[in-house]
Amino acid sequence: MWKYSEVLMDHFMNPRNVGTLENPDGHSEVGSPQCGDAMNLDIEIDQDDRVSDIKFRTFGCAGAIASASALTELVKGLPLDEALKVKNSQIAEYLGGMPPEKYHCSVMGQQALKAAVKDFREKSAQVRQAVDGIISGFKGITVIKIHPRWILVKGESPEFERIQDVLEGKLGRRIEIRRTAE
Amino acid sequence: MKRIYLDNNATTALAPEVLEEMMPFLSAEYGNPSSFHTFGSSVLERIARAREQVASLIGANPDEIIFTSGGTESDNMALRGCSALRGGPVVTTAVEHPAVLETAMHLGGPARIVGVDSSGTLDMKTFRSSLEGASVASVMFANNETGTLMPVKETAAISHEAAVPFHTDAVQAVGKVFVNVEELGVDMLSLSAHKFHGPKGVGALYLRRGMALPPLVTGGHQEKGMRAGTYNAAGIIGLGKAAELAQAHLQEEGFVKNLLGRFESGVLSRCPGAMIMAKESPRLPNTSTVIFRGIESEAVLTLLDIQGIYASSGSACSTGSKDPSHVLMAMGLDHNLANSAVRFSLSRFTTAEELDHAVDALAGIVEKLRAISPYT
Repeated sequence: MWKYSEVLMDHFMNPRNVGTLENPDGHSEVGSPQCGDAMNLDIEIDQDDRVSDIKFRTFGCAGAIASASALTELVKGLPLDEALKVKNSQIAEYLGGMPPEKYHCSVMGQQALKAAVKDFREKSAQVRQAVDGIISGFKGITVIKIHPRWILVKGESPEFERIQDVLEGKLGRRIEIRRTAE
Repeated sequence: MKRIYLDNNATTALAPEVLEEMMPFLSAEYGNPSSFHTFGSSVLERIARAREQVASLIGANPDEIIFTSGGTESDNMALRGCSALRGGPVVTTAVEHPAVLETAMHLGGPARIVGVDSSGTLDMKTFRSSLEGASVASVMFANNETGTLMPVKETAAISHEAAVPFHTDAVQAVGKVFVNVEELGVDMLSLSAHKFHGPKGVGALYLRRGMALPPLVTGGHQEKGMRAGTYNAAGIIGLGKAAELAQAHLQEEGFVKNLLGRFESGVLSRCPGAMIMAKESPRLPNTSTVIFRGIESEAVLTLLDIQGIYASSGSACSTGSKDPSHVLMAMGLDHNLANSAVRFSLSRFTTAEELDHAVDALAGIVEKLRAISPYT
């Protein structure tokens, strides 16, 4: 048996944030060629660019499962850019230390997070592209923010429903139009 | 917490009778068996009896038994000895224990390694064509990870047709199944005491009459000059007793086999995604390697360990190595499945109750880990 800390064993026995999100803003599936481990990660990003929800599933040893659980706890609620800065040394520290042979387990979580954020950004970019092609045709509307599931706009238009229809038609999924007065 | 030990291919419990037999030679009877005086030479008589006991277990003559420090030394002695005497590479199989495989690798040229199929069956055609110019052929009797039995009798005969001496690493087989050197026609055979309820640090090499090997360890006349060093008297006497007990218990082979069958059907019916490696192949009666598809073996071992149940795996994660079991990879498993394999190995001391308890524990563990897995 490896010398696992009590905290690590607790995260292995009772991993936090296990599962999947129904409509994730970012999704990733990564694997470690070094040891054959694998991890799927779903993230939900809120209007303030914070990681508002996160779920994982892992094929791996106790160290890999506990690392994934720790990562999700560490980044939940953090702004995206800060979440991406979480180092595997922080994961090891959070878990009360890890055997050196197991450090590579914690790297997989970061890879998964990076890949999920990339997916989030790609999905946002798709929305951006679709929006750019449509919204210029409507006067008096400014797009403030883009998100895989919604766009935030300023201004008034009687044609919001039509804009939404066209966007959803282009992207093939539900897109909410959120309005702000600012 | 009651301990349930299901890792008998790693090592076994010392039989109480063996310990009893050894004790005098760890205390009052400390004479050097090689001494002139009767205090020492009386111990040599006990060693001679141990030699008979070991010989009897494998159908050999007592003068064909060389005591060593264990299976690894016996394997080294056979392979290095033949290589030194004859030159040429070693022919062996892809599923050998590292004691053979690593030793063979660069001995007299790159080793000729013969593969197996997914059931563990040896590629006999390649074996036959690899023998020319070889110093020795070495084929294990039973695989330590999957328990599959190898065609020792057949490969020994083929090797002799090609005038190549034949060695078998029978460390996992001796004491568990019937092994007879005459019937097998082997020239050399390695065995280890602690795999059949004897002490650690002692084993033997069977060396057919008329053969001699250069010593690995020099500096003494012991074992006809082929293995120098003061006799490990207590260990050798323990090995002898363990051999005697194993021989008496061989008739009970069916007992362990029935237990294994009960365990395997329990696992298969209660653990979704489970499958038994080489299930239909001839196997040792005590060994079962279970692939728990979708979950990693070290996670299973860790949860078993917490409950006092001890098994093992060749997974990269549990051993700290980069690669999963070379045996399972040689049988065609991918990284993923090889890392999902857990080995359970029983002994004559294992009980049905222990196995039922282990199956209960496994059912819970598999359910828990499958819920975390991306593959299920």
